[in-house]
Amino acid sequence: MIKVLNGGIEIVVEDWPGRVGYMGLGMSPSGALDNLALQIGNIIVGNDPGEAGIEITAGYCSFEFTEDKVICLTGTDMSATVNGESVPTWEAFKVCAGDQIKFDHFGEVGFRAYILIAGGIDVPLYLDSKSTCLFGSYGGFEGRKLKPGDELRGIAVPNQDELIGRKVNPKYKPEYKNVWDVRLIVGPASVPDYVTEEGMDYLFSHEHKVRHDSNRSGYRLEELPSFFFARENGGEGGDHPSNWIESGYNMLGAVNINGNFPTLLIGDGPTFGGLMCSANIIYADLWIIGQTIPGRDKIKFVQTTQEEAKQARIEQLQMLKKEDLVIR
Amino acid sequence: MSKYDVIISSLPATDSRKEIFFRQAGDGFLQVEYGAIPTVELMDSFRMLAVDAEIRKMNIPGLIETLPGVRTNLMHFDPLVLDYESLICYLTEAENRIKSVDDMVIDSRIITLPMTFEDSKTKSAVELYEKSVRKDAPNDMGGYNLEYTALCNGCTVQDIKDMVMGTYWYNSGCGFYPGNAFWWPMDPRCKICVPKANPPRTWTPEGSVGIGGVSLCTYPSDSGGGNQLFGRTIPVIQMKMLHPQFKESPFLYKRYGDRIKFREVEEKELNEICDMVNNGTGYEYEIEEGQIIVKDYLEFINREDVKAGAADLVRRQQEASKIIPRV
Amino acid sequence: MDFTLNAHMPGLVARVTCEVGQEVEENQELVVLNCMKTEISCLSPKAGKVKEILVAEWDEMDVDVPMIVLEEV
Repeated sequence: MIKVLNGGIEIVVEDWPGRVGYMGLGMSPSGALDNLALQIGNIIVGNDPGEAGIEITAGYCSFEFTEDKVICLTGTDMSATVNGESVPTWEAFKVCAGDQIKFDHFGEVGFRAYILIAGGIDVPLYLDSKSTCLFGSYGGFEGRKLKPGDELRGIAVPNQDELIGRKVNPKYKPEYKNVWDVRLIVGPASVPDYVTEEGMDYLFSHEHKVRHDSNRSGYRLEELPSFFFARENGGEGGDHPSNWIESGYNMLGAVNINGNFPTLLIGDGPTFGGLMCSANIIYADLWIIGQTIPGRDKIKFVQTTQEEAKQARIEQLQMLKKEDLVIR
Repeated sequence: MSKYDVIISSLPATDSRKEIFFRQAGDGFLQVEYGAIPTVELMDSFRMLAVDAEIRKMNIPGLIETLPGVRTNLMHFDPLVLDYESLICYLTEAENRIKSVDDMVIDSRIITLPMTFEDSKTKSAVELYEKSVRKDAPNDMGGYNLEYTALCNGCTVQDIKDMVMGTYWYNSGCGFYPGNAFWWPMDPRCKICVPKANPPRTWTPEGSVGIGGVSLCTYPSDSGGGNQLFGRTIPVIQMKMLHPQFKESPFLYKRYGDRIKFREVEEKELNEICDMVNNGTGYEYEIEEGQIIVKDYLEFINREDVKAGAADLVRRQQEASKIIPRV
Repeated sequence: MDFTLNAHMPGLVARVTCEVGQEVEENQELVVLNCMKTEISCLSPKAGKVKEILVAEWDEMDVDVPMIVLEEV
């Protein structure tokens, strides 16, 4: 259905919510880093919101279609062209067998783009998910990122031409920025035993630059001041005050403190370990992390509560079900 | 009272268990924790696993999974189905169902792993760390992590090796990366404690064996990592599931409760075994069925000589902590 | 006419694989960037001669920052 001509930086098959329920085996959920772009794109082309799509990190890649398909591009705008002609984003359009689609690279805002294809992608389910776990080398397409020559199979869908022209209602299109507000729930390692009051104030009052060594296994932020820590050391967890006795990690957004560096646990990262987690991105804001540009964007944390997080989850679910989400 | 408080509820200590805290741990996550002072005591883990089994039996609607650790259990749930208050009620009921663990007998296999101290692969991982991550890292003194580990425990490199070899290591629960387990010494006289690397390594070869804090790890695959390395063992996962050991599951270790012990071999023999596992069917893993009888374990750790030996190690670690270079 | 090789990803310069004065071909690797913990080759956009190297190992790069100046031959 679609063949890779140029593999770019990192192209992977991902779905949503990924491989849920296997963290106790050390298997993180993986899944699309921007689950909102994936879900909206899928809805535009008539798929289940969580169907697998192609996640493109940074751009610099190209593909050739080997059959006629209706597709939609979401996420950041990488100035894609089909046979040299510009194509829209967040809108379904048709490609024909032999068409070549080329992605330039990420621009001022946003870091990942998605190709959603009417019918979906035919890769085997592994533990209930089509997602690729790059670290563990399983799932998706042969457990790895795509390279030139790889060809993904599609799933046939009747009357796909009726989907052409469906696009997202602009009022629901996620807004991409360079300084992002991300809502956090604090815990389990918090004030007063692990973190100082001033330390938490710092976390919530500063803009945190995303480091260039961020990837699907974790998004790293700039160093925290040493007054962040309430303890001298980690006791039997280890010498550094960020160390704790090995415990489970909330792989869906924990702010894991790695030495003095906070790492946001998402995607393919570790599910358990000896470094404390002091706060957690709420489910409704998880999509943001995959769109932050390493080495450039900043994150501003906003404290929120369990109740508000639940409300935000409900609102996001309702938005994805709204009748006017997709217009023509 | 701080706006950053995370302890939602607690249960007072009883004759048979420590105080229990329920900590907020994210959107759809709750951490259960034993004891106000974080410490590694296997009795907590034995109890945690018994309670975890009760929780699983209850089939709590909205509970997605549990991640038991040595003194914590992380609950992952769907907040649209289950709220904190109801979850804590279920967890309290599960706690109340388990009276004492003193009479428990835990199924626990013993896996004997061939291991080479100071092998060439983990040595090159330490070299790479020096070169590309942190120059002059204190834990890399002498070009490897063993000297630093010895220094932190107020003993010799040989003493460290003897402690690694001299105890069974017990898995309180898997996690981190696919097929990884967290191993704790059954003999408190072998409770080596050493800081983790800061920042962590970007590369640790598959099979590496190391300790961070007091937890031992046999790295299932090439990965990052912060444990101080001292040797290398054989594969503990095989995703392609071709070797007979991995016919049923890609992972050697059960989710929790296994014990391992090490058998020292030359690197040549180790490489031969790795080759047989990776590329053939020849090697048979040394696994015996067994049980941990908690009463016997309690008797052992309360023996005068064991208590004295454990206390001596703690004293040496405390002395050492005054002089060791911080990571 | 001079032209430059610019960083196409944010990252650290892992190493420079060319020297001043060296004649290089189109698509020859001149710099390796470490980005997202992966090494990424940066290739010369066309044939030329290395005139100036603007970066050193471990320099942090943002996108489109010039790394190597080349001249046409």
